[in-house]
Amino acid sequence: MICPDGVPDAHDVTPRATLSRMRSLMILAQLMLESSTERQITQLAIGAARTLAACTRVHAELDEELGPGPDMTMSTRGVPDVASGPAAEGRGPRRWAYPLHSGRGHVGWLIVACDTPPDDEEHFLLRSLAQHAGVALVNLRLHEQQRAAVAEAERVNAQLHETLEALRRSMDVHARLTAVAASGQGRQGIAEAVHELTGLPVAVEDGFGNLRAWAGPDRPDPYPKDSEADRERLLRLALREGRPVREGDRWIGVSRPQQDVTGALVLFDPEGLATAHQLTALEHGLTILGMELARLRSLAESELRVRRDLVEELLAGTDEDSALRRAQALRYDLERPHRVVIVEGHDRDHDDEAFLHGVRRAARDQQVGSLLIRRGAHVVVLADHDADWERFRTAILDEVRGGRCRLGIGNRYPTIAGIPRSLHEAEVALRVQDAAAGDARATCYEALGVYQLLAEVRDPAATEAFGRTWLQPLLDYDEQRNADLVLTLSRYLDHGGNYDASAGALFIHRSTLKYRLHRIREISGYDLSEPDTRFNLQLACRAWETLNALRRDVDDTATPA
Amino acid sequence: MGTTLATGLPGVSMNVSDHICAFYRGVQERDEVLLPYLRAGLRAGDKCICVVDSTDPDALCAELTDEPRVDDDQLSAFRSEDSYLLHGRFAPDDMLDFWESVARSAFAFHDYTLVRAVGEMTWALRDLPGVDLLVAYEAELNRQLHKYPQVVLCLYDLERFTDGEALMEILRTHPQVLMSRMLVDNPWYIEPDELLTHQR
Repeated sequence: MICPDGVPDAHDVTPRATLSRMRSLMILAQLMLESSTERQITQLAIGAARTLAACTRVHAELDEELGPGPDMTMSTRGVPDVASGPAAEGRGPRRWAYPLHSGRGHVGWLIVACDTPPDDEEHFLLRSLAQHAGVALVNLRLHEQQRAAVAEAERVNAQLHETLEALRRSMDVHARLTAVAASGQGRQGIAEAVHELTGLPVAVEDGFGNLRAWAGPDRPDPYPKDSEADRERLLRLALREGRPVREGDRWIGVSRPQQDVTGALVLFDPEGLATAHQLTALEHGLTILGMELARLRSLAESELRVRRDLVEELLAGTDEDSALRRAQALRYDLERPHRVVIVEGHDRDHDDEAFLHGVRRAARDQQVGSLLIRRGAHVVVLADHDADWERFRTAILDEVRGGRCRLGIGNRYPTIAGIPRSLHEAEVALRVQDAAAGDARATCYEALGVYQLLAEVRDPAATEAFGRTWLQPLLDYDEQRNADLVLTLSRYLDHGGNYDASAGALFIHRSTLKYRLHRIREISGYDLSEPDTRFNLQLACRAWETLNALRRDVDDTATPA
Repeated sequence: MGTTLATGLPGVSMNVSDHICAFYRGVQERDEVLLPYLRAGLRAGDKCICVVDSTDPDALCAELTDEPRVDDDQLSAFRSEDSYLLHGRFAPDDMLDFWESVARSAFAFHDYTLVRAVGEMTWALRDLPGVDLLVAYEAELNRQLHKYPQVVLCLYDLERFTDGEALMEILRTHPQVLMSRMLVDNPWYIEPDELLTHQR
């Protein structure tokens, strides 16, 4: 051991020496208090103890946690504390233990081995040293606990800050997109808002992948479109995931607010650097897009309903001012001449809904008109333009890919007051076509000829009387025998007495026709070669068919299909 | 002796030929000692020499640009690699020569009346040849201090120098200790002759 110059020997009890020893302890105590590890403190204490007392060995034993208290003795360890005096027997130096403790707890022992017992002054110095070391150790432990608590608090604070920041950003996104939804800026507004929030180009696509809105630079032209199979796969994937999925150079989220309403919001991110915040904005945008799609769908359904109601009322006859106001709300000009076209028929599958949509598409393509409804077994079109009606009929069959289609076309009227009349005419045209038999075709009321005249006769009884005057024996025969002599006579006269054409129209053999004509001559007694007789018989046949058609019309009106 | 010098810390003064061991924790506490010490030296017209280890010397000088200077060379700042650890090793004699040559130059070619030196000692914790001679070097420095009017402040970071036994050794080589803004004569100090003899 070498003695520092400034630390007097423990046996020097002069005031100056005592003061110097106190200063040594003070410096060491301060150094231990400033120390950053327990090892540093104990090593300082050990180094100092060797100087302060004539000891052979010094070491420190530390408890893991703060111990039981300053009154604990070392008897349980086989080493007594200083108050108990030396206890170790046998060879070697004896040991003394000095408690390392502060007012807040006990942390261990400073154990000093000496050949000769320390005197009172050395005991005092060693006890003081141990106490300073104990205070430093306890302080360090408390400081570390405090530092750990502060670090934990800082970590929690940072986490909270991060959560709040994410919440704030989410609220900003929500507020921005809600404003878009509230302002009715539609799909373009949504695309622009998401572009603003993410800084990336944004597209809104329909369910088929067609571009509906774009925001941001570098808009592709033409806009790329997936194959039908790829599109379907992508939609299924995104819907299953319930969040945007990465596909190529983009993030795509799909919204399907209703089964048949689908839209997609696409974020173009070629580098794949989109942050969680940007994807959150995309998801919020998707929610708003879903609302927008549902709104558009609802709007379309409402408009369709209003249009249907309007057409029904126009066909039945309605207050003109009220109808015009509603038409204006639908941005439809009713103050144009209109005519009614009745479409009767079906597609190959007899799918009424598909047939209606086929008629709608054909009416749009042929520029016939846009107001149409299903009415019973027919589709009724309010035509605001004239068209080649036979071409319209063919276009319908093309749209529904086969089936059957007949048209009855009423006259054109300058105001909506004429629409019910036009409807009636279209119905008559269709019935007369029915009565006249032959292939399905487009029949205009204005082209009905004598049928039109017969249909418009105010007193059907006179027409019936005329018909019966010429046809009664044949009518009776048909009724009694369930035969078709009147129909056979009518087709024969319509075809100018041509056997082959007449037989073809009736779908019977030529010899059958000849037999029936023989029976007609026998029953009625008429000479069919006489011109006047032929004229009157043909007129009577047409009058009878017209009456039948009108009767069916009345019956149908009474009990709609 | 007799002339007290400002340390830059309020109420704390030192004397010519003092060799002070300053204990601190972390760079912030280091600067709370180091910067006032150098500012006081610059204001007093002392030649100031600074060796830093955990900071760039230029960054340190930038902190002191507002201080008045006697001349452009009044403050010299070095990296430990260019002084203590020149050639990748610590050679006590070379370092003592370094301090002496700087001091000699300050008095021979300039009008300085005092050299104020400060060294950040964390370089001694590196695993390099010669760093085990630190205690001998610090003891020997005490002999050299009387050759020229100078003071030396050695900076020891208690967060880095965690070996208590080494700290006791360091404590024995410095006649003064600066700690918690208190400068006290160090009772643990051992004269270099005795210490070096014992070490041998």
